[in-house]
Amino acid sequence: MRRLRNILWLTGKELRAIRGDRVMLVLIAYIFTLAVWLVSDAGSTEVDHLATAVVDEDRSQLSARLIDAIQPPLFAPPVVLSAPQAQAAQRAGEAILVLTIPPDFERDLHAGREVTLQILVDATAVAQAGNGASFLRQTLSQELSEALSPGAESSDLVTVVMRNFFNPNLTSSWFSAVMQLMNNVTILMLILSGASMIREREHGTIEHVLVMPVRPHEIVVSKIVASGAVILTASLLSLVFVVQGAMGVPIAGALWLYACGAAIYVVAVASLGLLLASFTRTMGQFGLLVIPVIVLMILLSGGMTPLESMPDWLQGLLRTISPATHFVIFAQAVLYRGVGFSLVWPEMVMMAGMAAVAVVIVLARFRKVLAG
Amino acid sequence: MEPVARLIDVSHRYGGVTALEAVTLDIPSGGMAGLIGPDGVGKSTLLALVAGVRRGQTGQIESLGGSMGQRAHRAAVAPRIAYMPQGLGRNLYPTLTVTENLQFFGRLFGQGAAERDARIAMLLEATGLAPFPDRPAGKLSGGMKQKLGLCAALIHDPDLLILDEPTTGVDPLSRRQFWELIDRVREARPGMSVLTATAYMEEADRFDWIAALDAGRVIATGSPEELRTRTGADSLEGAFVALLPEEIRSRHKAVPSLPRPQSGGRIAIEAEGLVKRFGDFTAVDHVSFSIPEGEIFGFLGSNGCGKTTTMKMLTGLLDPTEGTTKLFGRALGRADMAARLGIGYMSQAFSLYSELTVRQNLVLHARLYGVAPARRLARVAEVMAEFDLAEAADAMPESLPLGLRQRLQLAVAMIHEPPILILDEPTSGVDPVARDAFWATLMRLSREKGVTIFISTHFMNEAARCDRISLMHAGRVLDIGTPEDIVARRGAESLEAAFIAALEAEAESPAPAPEDARPASAEPTPHKRFAAGTRLYAYSWRETLELARDPIRLFFALLGPVILMLAMGFGISFDVDRLSLAVLNQDQSAASHRLTEGFTAIPQFALAPPFASPADLPDRMGLGAVALALDIPEGFERDLHRGDVPEIGLTFDGAMPFRAQTAQGYALGVLQDYAQKAAVEEGLGTTSPVGFETRYLFNQTFESANAMVPSVLMLILMLVPAVMAAVSVVREKETGTIANFHATPVSRIEFLIGKQLPYLALAWISFWVLVILGLTVFSVPLSGNLVALGLAALAYVTATTGFGQLISAFTRTQVAAVFATAVISIIPTVNFSGLVVPVSSLGDGGRLFGLAFPGAWFQPVSVGTFLKGFGWTEALSATAVLGLFAATYLVFAIISLPKQER
Repeated sequence: MRRLRNILWLTGKELRAIRGDRVMLVLIAYIFTLAVWLVSDAGSTEVDHLATAVVDEDRSQLSARLIDAIQPPLFAPPVVLSAPQAQAAQRAGEAILVLTIPPDFERDLHAGREVTLQILVDATAVAQAGNGASFLRQTLSQELSEALSPGAESSDLVTVVMRNFFNPNLTSSWFSAVMQLMNNVTILMLILSGASMIREREHGTIEHVLVMPVRPHEIVVSKIVASGAVILTASLLSLVFVVQGAMGVPIAGALWLYACGAAIYVVAVASLGLLLASFTRTMGQFGLLVIPVIVLMILLSGGMTPLESMPDWLQGLLRTISPATHFVIFAQAVLYRGVGFSLVWPEMVMMAGMAAVAVVIVLARFRKVLAG
Repeated sequence: MEPVARLIDVSHRYGGVTALEAVTLDIPSGGMAGLIGPDGVGKSTLLALVAGVRRGQTGQIESLGGSMGQRAHRAAVAPRIAYMPQGLGRNLYPTLTVTENLQFFGRLFGQGAAERDARIAMLLEATGLAPFPDRPAGKLSGGMKQKLGLCAALIHDPDLLILDEPTTGVDPLSRRQFWELIDRVREARPGMSVLTATAYMEEADRFDWIAALDAGRVIATGSPEELRTRTGADSLEGAFVALLPEEIRSRHKAVPSLPRPQSGGRIAIEAEGLVKRFGDFTAVDHVSFSIPEGEIFGFLGSNGCGKTTTMKMLTGLLDPTEGTTKLFGRALGRADMAARLGIGYMSQAFSLYSELTVRQNLVLHARLYGVAPARRLARVAEVMAEFDLAEAADAMPESLPLGLRQRLQLAVAMIHEPPILILDEPTSGVDPVARDAFWATLMRLSREKGVTIFISTHFMNEAARCDRISLMHAGRVLDIGTPEDIVARRGAESLEAAFIAALEAEAESPAPAPEDARPASAEPTPHKRFAAGTRLYAYSWRETLELARDPIRLFFALLGPVILMLAMGFGISFDVDRLSLAVLNQDQSAASHRLTEGFTAIPQFALAPPFASPADLPDRMGLGAVALALDIPEGFERDLHRGDVPEIGLTFDGAMPFRAQTAQGYALGVLQDYAQKAAVEEGLGTTSPVGFETRYLFNQTFESANAMVPSVLMLILMLVPAVMAAVSVVREKETGTIANFHATPVSRIEFLIGKQLPYLALAWISFWVLVILGLTVFSVPLSGNLVALGLAALAYVTATTGFGQLISAFTRTQVAAVFATAVISIIPTVNFSGLVVPVSSLGDGGRLFGLAFPGAWFQPVSVGTFLKGFGWTEALSATAVLGLFAATYLVFAIISLPKQER
């Protein structure tokens, strides 16, 4: 009872401390509002305005028609170049795709001869080039069949009905907005919890608390609770008002379920932040340590590039040590696919396990650090 | 005689706080001039203005015969002034050894190697530091640090030596040695003027001339003798109090010297054989004492002698290595919660929550100490009345004057009415009036309430008020007794003399008394241009040494890039393969199986268990286990052969749009292939007369790592060197060593380039390590000229370190520098420099934004050299642009870094 009361009062103190830190409040507000919107609008891995050049050696009506078919949003308006120019442009990275229409293309086609269109792909643009090339082939084939047999029924062998579950038009901001939100939770949680510990060590207040009848774990728990509550609340508000409200991204699943999972995740990351703080003495050192950790956690969470594309050993390692991978799976399942508790509970258990381990390590480290 | 410095109507403000108010003062030359007064009256500001370290706001400041407002004069006199800032060893580099510190200062004044060695040897001999040339400055005792600081100040034979509270926090013996040293130096260089500030009034007695300051104004000047006669006081401290304005003086009450009532003789604190070791360093060495209830027990000793460690063991904050503590006969155990209720503790620095108001602090502590809820508010009101805090109840502690803050700390320590108070230097830096008020309260607590008080202090007049005192040195207690007994036992005149005698008896070697302390040199000052090189090198050399001794920064600089490269090289992969495909084959015909095989034949798809009905799909896709579902209807083969164009369904998991898009691309390819094959082999449908030939250039195997590694190289070499360079400058601001930049002839360009070089070199080494990593671990092919890329990389890291230095000009704390640099550099580098999205796909705005940072210029060359066979032509043009970036950053950093403090 007494311990609970101590935790409660210390938590209140932590919340006041956060409220008094103007810079941190502005940062939290900015990151959960403007930054979510800005970044999700920025670069993405989907094919979008891919720079294309055409070497038109035919200069026929048909070739002009093909060139016209290459259009935004998938492709940037194509540039017609000579062969050497196109080669130089591709080398300089100004054109990712180069389509070559051979001489006498239209005549040969009407004469029933087999003709070949060449697509050169700058394969250094790994994220877009492969998909871009197949979309270009698709676009050209369609245009050709319409041009060759106008008005005819599809000459296709089969009709393919394509559907996308959960995100019908594959709008990339639906994905990036929520992933950005999760990245922000990770970043702010690490910084906020770590900073709360280091600020106390730098100001000497931690010593003062420790001569009182307060146990170290009460301090640790109060810090996790206070910083976790702030970030969790901010992220939920951001999800409802910014992502769902302002950006119009539909949220498929139950908000309460997401809140539960996010609460577990927040505890795990807060403990990690405290753990990192226990290895450093100043905020400067903490910053140097926390930045690589943030970069790694975010890049390898599965929220940037699919987890299953990573090597097996790395996937195994990440699933064992990084709560972020589980949180990404959990959040995608709940928010995009509207999955219920019966399917996501194993991810929640994994996160809870990691949070428990992290809290235990922090407590052990904390005692040791204070003794030294 | 011409004054060494002259101030005419000088005022100085920090924000809304006035530090100096219309000060007009002539400081006499050739002697020892001193400023006296408590903390925060403007002494430091005045000294910094005279030294030219701080930029003047209003009024005229002249030092050594010229205006410090003129840049040319400042540059001309900088080599003739030495400035030692406040704080123990604040302008020293703790990880550098004694000799290395002095080598650095020698270089800053452009001295050659032979001259430096000679001077250093002489100075170390004169100050008695000669036996410890290789000890890191951070491991020196307070007194030794100050001697080293003095060596650093004297290395260039200054004509004006400015010392800001050089003896605060130093034990009496070291203090005396320090002033004796100054006297000897002055004998050797009679023309030298010394201007110093002190909070110890006793010390000011040895000065030739004194200016007493209070609240930013000079309240009196003259020799100590004159001041005493003028006020009729018998001590300088008394004289100072007498000189204070009436309203402050009226608050002053002499501390009542009440006799201690005979108590029951219970022992409140008993320490037996306390030992604390940190590694092989013994901080406290068999300390024993027993303190009866109600006694005021004074604890004296220099900084770092083990006082604080002993007090922490008494509070249970630290566990002793050996020995026991008993409080009222009860042994203090580990994490002893009950015992803590009996102790009130006040630490050396202010340690209450600055984000809580005075009242909130009191309430929080009352709660944590378990003061009963019913009594809590009453108790808070009680202590607020008792310690005179009522007016400040809703103020933030940071806005309070130091004396009031100390009272608040004491109030907090007393909130639970503990029978024992442990106070660690509670009056350090507090002005005499407030100090006396504080002691009056302590007397009352002890005499009226029987509280046992264990207090450490540097002030001898406070020690004399204690019932008993103990003298501590190097972890051991030298003497315990009443002040009178100790004075008598040592046969000394005063407590201070007795303390010094006790310390001298302990000293390993007698105080050094070299015959000649003349740090003179006949060697001419070296050529000017050569000196600039020496100063620049001084910073590079020192930065390198410091970096080599800081494990966290070194880890970040060397291993950070490697770890990031490994993680990103393996982790950021766009090679989508083994996409899980679930099939609902309702036809189960040869044709439908052939279609399914078309999918499974390529590595991009992996077959997952089939699904039973379309209704199952949402659940199966729910956890992301199925990326793509293929639905082949009944009658597929029949329709196909009839030419009825059967309809098949492809459903993608759109949660990850990139993955869905890739899956669509591959699926369309499979279907086209299938149609083609069916047309050729079975004569179904028509073959398209147009074939496509798709060729992947530059990265034939189309592997992510081949393109990511050279791109990630760009990202890492932006982030890590920029953060390192930013921290290196801001660190100096935070630790105070930036004073050396302000106070010595080093120029801004020498400072910045000198500090940039080590990081530039380190980043370039990182570049080669990352290249080797890319070629070996990730087997990235190399088709271009690596030497040419190396040159471009050199220009790139020059630009990125320069970027960090530019950021550092605008940030004050290391943490701000780290995050500001990271945030500002990461967004353009990740989003607009071709890392993921090709620059050619960006809109005009994004493209321009990206091109405004060096990353977008380096990325194409990096990728091109590995994969596109780039050579000297491309590398040289990028090098030129990147060089321009580096130069621009440097120019802006120079403009934004003020040579004087503001």
